[in-house]
Amino acid sequence: MRGGVNALIVAAGLAAGPAVSAEPWNIPHEKQAILKGRVVDALCQLKGSCKPDCGGGKRQLGLVLADGTFRLVAKSNIDFAGAASDLAGYCGREIEADGLLIENPAVTLFFVQRIRQNPGQDWIAAERFKTDWETRNGKAEEWWRADPEANRIIAEDGPFGIKGLQPKPKP
Amino acid sequence: MTILSQARHRILLSTAFAGLLAAILPASAQQSGQRVTITGEISDSWCTISGLMFAKGTAHHQCAVWCALGGIPVAIRDAGGNLYLILKIGDDEDSAGNPRVAKLATHDVTVDGELLERDGVKYLLVDRIADDKGVITMTHEEHGIQPFGN
Repeated sequence: MRGGVNALIVAAGLAAGPAVSAEPWNIPHEKQAILKGRVVDALCQLKGSCKPDCGGGKRQLGLVLADGTFRLVAKSNIDFAGAASDLAGYCGREIEADGLLIENPAVTLFFVQRIRQNPGQDWIAAERFKTDWETRNGKAEEWWRADPEANRIIAEDGPFGIKGLQPKPKP
Repeated sequence: MTILSQARHRILLSTAFAGLLAAILPASAQQSGQRVTITGEISDSWCTISGLMFAKGTAHHQCAVWCALGGIPVAIRDAGGNLYLILKIGDDEDSAGNPRVAKLATHDVTVDGELLERDGVKYLLVDRIADDKGVITMTHEEHGIQPFGN
């Protein structure tokens, strides 16, 4: 029975080798998983609108597993940040991604915490977004509060998204 | 060149072109979608499904801007709770960290486009934003500014 389950896991593209060690985030419907698959650009995979570098980090990316399942990788290990920066460098290549598979009835997504190309390599934390952001903007404890584009939008439209509507002063 | 040889030449060219396309495009591409009109609130998929914060309307606007600029997939959540992940708007195919999309955070919109469903996800290729009412769901009085209160 156990062998059968393992065979099913491998057939579905979930690597059976190393123990899963993704940190639980206590998200409804989450399941720790290592996905093994080829990095692809979602728009290319679904509609054939492709770019040679998978969009260079500007498109949503995912993994095509061995059984053909496509899993969108929606979140990295950095707060408020997706995984395009982490995956773009592997465009078209097979990787292993350790993280959380969220099988919410509304949507199934994968949140990656670390990546490697093959079992012989060390895992790389999925935190490239912060490195890239700091290269462009300098060090910041909370990138989201220091982001020039975010601050421009919030200055224009207000923190509630309605011009002129501001939080009440704290007593 | 005879009519027959011209036809053969055209066939050869067509075959070569088809072969070139097949080599470039992934085998599973060319999915044909369904024409749809979707109405709902633009939100990020992380906050919507994480359950870690209140992810609607004015209270969530700032957070939704951060997530959109951070490259979290942006979705439209309709009244039935369905999530439609946006992969393009018009000719703009940048779906990760796009400031134009971030500017729409928590807006109530109606869009026309193509719906593609694959492995538990509804993907939306937006042709046009037919209506944008701005942020109309007022939640900040009850929930403050999510997730940190400022």
